Amino acid sequence: MKPSAEEIGALLALKRHERPEEGFLDDFLRDFHQRRREEEALKAGPAGWWHRLSSWASGLGASKWAYGAGLAYAGAAALFLLSPSPVQVQPTPTVPAKYQVEPAEPTAVEQLDAVDLRPSSQGTTGEQEF
Amino acid sequence: MPDDPLQPDPDEDLVARARSGDTRAFDALILKYGEKLYGLVYNMTAHKEDTYDLLQDIFAKAYHSLPKFRGHSSFYTWIYQIAVNMTLNFLKKRKRRGGGMSLNEMDSAVQTDPALVDSSHMANPEKQSKLHELQKRLNEAMLSLSEAHRTVVTMFDIQGLPHAEIARILKISEGTVRSRLHYAHLQLQSKLQEYWEQGI
Repeated sequence: MKPSAEEIGALLALKRHERPEEGFLDDFLRDFHQRRREEEALKAGPAGWWHRLSSWASGLGASKWAYGAGLAYAGAAALFLLSPSPVQVQPTPTVPAKYQVEPAEPTAVEQLDAVDLRPSSQGTTGEQEF
Repeated sequence: MPDDPLQPDPDEDLVARARSGDTRAFDALILKYGEKLYGLVYNMTAHKEDTYDLLQDIFAKAYHSLPKFRGHSSFYTWIYQIAVNMTLNFLKKRKRRGGGMSLNEMDSAVQTDPALVDSSHMANPEKQSKLHELQKRLNEAMLSLSEAHRTVVTMFDIQGLPHAEIARILKISEGTVRSRLHYAHLQLQSKLQEYWEQGI
């Protein structure tokens, strides 16, 4: 035989009288205040802005993705607008400039011709050929 | 708990003071509703430490969200809704983390819940022992229910909320609430059948 739904309901209703242990709420309040003080100290610190931003975002629900996408788009647009523009190549002037023609440096072959390649001294141990 | 639009919220003054930064007013709200919310969270999680931590989170969330509270419902309905949503989210996370709670992990205090011990049976040790066993079985059966079913049983049978209020808080239809309750009761009846047959 199974208990009826009413009997199940009556059994469960007895659980309405469940109470936390004595002193539970005193400890609970003490911890609650402690935790709040810690949170306030955290908010006042350098990590506070990030904490506030994440709390704000978590409160937005599904719309946080729309905000995120909007911010990403705005960031990309700002990056595009602020990035340096490509270097403009100026066209070379067509008017001939006056150049003073300098005599060209002699080529390497001409320099070689000027060099005396004869042996500076005759060897005594044998004839040298060039 | 249902809100009567003609009745002013009995916590209106405390809420207004808490919103203006009076921490004692918020303490008074914690003292007023702490035990009721404890029953809700404890019967849903079956774990004392989890209940304590969750209640801390629930009241902290309510405290920070007070500026957003518009008074469309009573403060109790509002914080009750926060409690249900946060507990359901916690249970989902706990399930993902560890594949749900095994009966071995069940809080020993739930198994020896004095609430089920009828004082008229106190003089009869045999009857009292059977009641203890029945109570243990009932708690085990409760934990064998899915979170969705355990939630409606907790809200309806233990906390005494009407179907319409449960539907509003859980954002489901009243029909779904009734159907979940019916299924959950069948499950509980089946789980308790063996002990019921022995008679108490």
